[in-house]
Amino acid sequence: MCAQPGTDTQGVRWQKVLYERQPFPDNYVDRRFLEDLRKNIYARKYQYWAVVFESSVVVQQLCSVCVFVVIWWYMDEGLLAPQWLFGTGLASSLIGYVLFDVIDGGEGRKKSGRTRWADLKSALVFITFTYGFSPVLKTLTESVSTDTIYAMAVFMLLGHLIFFDYGANAAIVSSTLSLNMAIFASVCLASRLPRSLHAFVMVTFAIQIFALWPMLQKKLKACTPCSYVGVTLLFAFSALGGLLSISAVGAVLFALLLVSISCLCPFYLIRLQLFKENIHGPWDEAEIKEDLSRFLS
Amino acid sequence: MVLKAFFPTCCASADSGLLVGRWVPEQGFAVVLAVVHFPFIPLQVRELLARVQRASQVGLAVLGTWCHRRREPEESLGRFLEGLGALFTHKPWLQLSREPDSRRWNCKVSSPGAPCGEDQVMLIFYDQRQVLLAQLHPPATLPDRRAGDATATAAEGGLAAVFHTVARSEALFQSDRFDEGPVRLTHWQSEGVEASILVELAKWASGPVCLLLSSLLSLLSWLSTWRLCRLCPLAFLCSKLCTCQQLRLRLQHLQLVFSTQKAEDPAQLMRKANTLVSVLLDVALGLALLSWLHREDRIGQLADALVPVADRVAEELQQLLEWLMGAPAGLKMNRALDQVLGRFFLYHIHLWISYIHLMSPFVERILWHVGLSACLGLTVALSLLSDILALLTFHIYCFYVYGARLYCLKVCGLSSLWRLFRGKKWNVLRQRVDSCSYDLDQLFIGTLLFTILLFLLPTTALYYLVFTLLRLLVVAVQGLIHLLVDLVNSLPLYSLGLRLCRPYRLAAGVKFRVLERESDGPLRLLMQINPLPYSHVVHNFRLPSCGCHPRQSWSSLCRKLFFGELIYPWRQRGDKQD
Repeated sequence: MCAQPGTDTQGVRWQKVLYERQPFPDNYVDRRFLEDLRKNIYARKYQYWAVVFESSVVVQQLCSVCVFVVIWWYMDEGLLAPQWLFGTGLASSLIGYVLFDVIDGGEGRKKSGRTRWADLKSALVFITFTYGFSPVLKTLTESVSTDTIYAMAVFMLLGHLIFFDYGANAAIVSSTLSLNMAIFASVCLASRLPRSLHAFVMVTFAIQIFALWPMLQKKLKACTPCSYVGVTLLFAFSALGGLLSISAVGAVLFALLLVSISCLCPFYLIRLQLFKENIHGPWDEAEIKEDLSRFLS
Repeated sequence: MVLKAFFPTCCASADSGLLVGRWVPEQGFAVVLAVVHFPFIPLQVRELLARVQRASQVGLAVLGTWCHRRREPEESLGRFLEGLGALFTHKPWLQLSREPDSRRWNCKVSSPGAPCGEDQVMLIFYDQRQVLLAQLHPPATLPDRRAGDATATAAEGGLAAVFHTVARSEALFQSDRFDEGPVRLTHWQSEGVEASILVELAKWASGPVCLLLSSLLSLLSWLSTWRLCRLCPLAFLCSKLCTCQQLRLRLQHLQLVFSTQKAEDPAQLMRKANTLVSVLLDVALGLALLSWLHREDRIGQLADALVPVADRVAEELQQLLEWLMGAPAGLKMNRALDQVLGRFFLYHIHLWISYIHLMSPFVERILWHVGLSACLGLTVALSLLSDILALLTFHIYCFYVYGARLYCLKVCGLSSLWRLFRGKKWNVLRQRVDSCSYDLDQLFIGTLLFTILLFLLPTTALYYLVFTLLRLLVVAVQGLIHLLVDLVNSLPLYSLGLRLCRPYRLAAGVKFRVLERESDGPLRLLMQINPLPYSHVVHNFRLPSCGCHPRQSWSSLCRKLFFGELIYPWRQRGDKQD
């Protein structure tokens, strides 16, 4: 340990190998030991506004759930006529359908190879099945207690938010499961509504807001980021407004949640990034960079 | 090596003479079968032995001499007997003698190689009659059996050889002392041959009777293979009704009993006897039932009681359904589905009641004819009862099938839709669950159906549970009847009676009891036969029945019940294994 740096009396240079006999004790290291130490080489530098922009996906999804619950509440109270909601939903779906193709000039449709006939078929399947099953849905949970239904719906919507594909590459993400949970929650809630037409409109609305709206959002975000920010703000404010008409406390809490997610969380992330101490060096596990599939075949 | 001499107890008081028997060199056994008395001509003795040997395929020889000193010691006789050794040459020459006053026995063995002392001879007394009639179990093993426990195997083999020798030498015991034969013998039948006039008459009569009956039976079985009987609905019905199965089994039994071929081995003989006794008992019980039924017009009473009982059952079912259509036990049932199912089943009960009332004028006549079938045997009557029960509870069976099908559909649908709910699918080729990307409409319809099925499941499950319990009740009653029929069919009554009255006939082994031992005499043992335990008797001689035992284990039954697969009681009969 206390030997001369680099060399000993015979002028032999110390090497960090075990396969050669060297005139040093076994636990000897010299100054060059930590030469290869690297810090934070893979750490990313975040821009504040970019993070805020990315967090808008979460905000959008939260707002979707909020809007859905608010609409359901209006329907349950009888303040919103199902025909009106259906008409609005149909109109906005048509607008969104046109927008979906217009935004990228039909590139996405060409790439996926999906025809308009298939879209029409899907729409028909949605409408027919929902309309056919709506009397069944209406009487489905008659005997089950309302609290059970609410608890189930809450769990399912939470699950929908947890498993939603926000663009992160994680094992927990499953857009299928997320969508299924949302539909399950909507069916549960729709079965509490007074008439079967209400149930039909509610489930249709659930498909629009949980299945179709995120697809349009994704495309908006990719093609026209500016309008996406505008849409997000509009959507968030309308959700807040809806919630405010039901309960002021809920609206305040929701607003706080939105603000903390879109402003505080990015700020905190960037602050915490400074304390990052990721060390790398020759002691790391081997990392296979090359694609080995050609050897394996 | 200790020489063991097996000596029949009936010869212990015989006059002096020659010992005739078999020498088993492997185990050092000398099995004495009889004593030849003076006077005799050696040539005739040899002729007799050769004759018996030809009949029995067992090597017989003169083993030695027997000297029973009744009075004062006869020196001359002793010397004469010693001299006989030169006449009949046999390797170990036995010289048995019994003192007149004392109960002393002497035994000398002179073998040419090394003269043996007295203490190396063991005298074992056996009851010749019992050993002759006994059947050793397990049956005599082959000498080249796998070498497990060498000594035990040798002992078993030796014992089997003793039993075999005595059983085969029956020709030696044919003559009694009243016969004017050239040679006089003492053995178990020497006081007179055992026989019974009845048995002899039965033996004479059995031949023509068997011939007649077997021809009749073959005519019957030919009729049953007639083409008309093989037409589709008839054959199907025959395979389902246990009366037909029982009749077929009985026909086979009778054919076995009255076959004109002689039984090849004791096991087959025992089987025939068991079958005959079983059939006889069955018919006797059936006749008793018949006489009981026809006394005091019980059939009429039964017929009068049957329709109200069926009505009562239907009423109870109706009440049960009404209870189910309400909110049974506060369960969360879907009201609409509940009403639909309840009305459907109520309509069924209504149909059933009309059917019963349509049938009611004919019930007494039907029952009278059914009662006649009891003269074919109790088992046939019981099988008919089981069939009638199955027919009378047909509505319960129908309910069960509907409930089970519906439930099965729900469970299967739910399990596959649950996979869709998680974004997985069942890969049939690899027999595993794979992840799969579904289209939007597939997901939507799947989840919609999943929700609906999930909320409707409790209703269906409750109906299924109730009707399965009812069905299981009926199946249990039918199973009890089948068990009873099986018991009568397969219980080896003849063997059990034999074991009860003549325990030595079914031997499981032997035990030796030490008679008093003098210091200088040979060791004397008494061989007694161990009877076969009752459980072994039942196990060994069980008649093959039609196999009503449940083939499926309890766990598989529970599994089937859980997944709503149908359980058939009559599927488990004989030929229905698919």
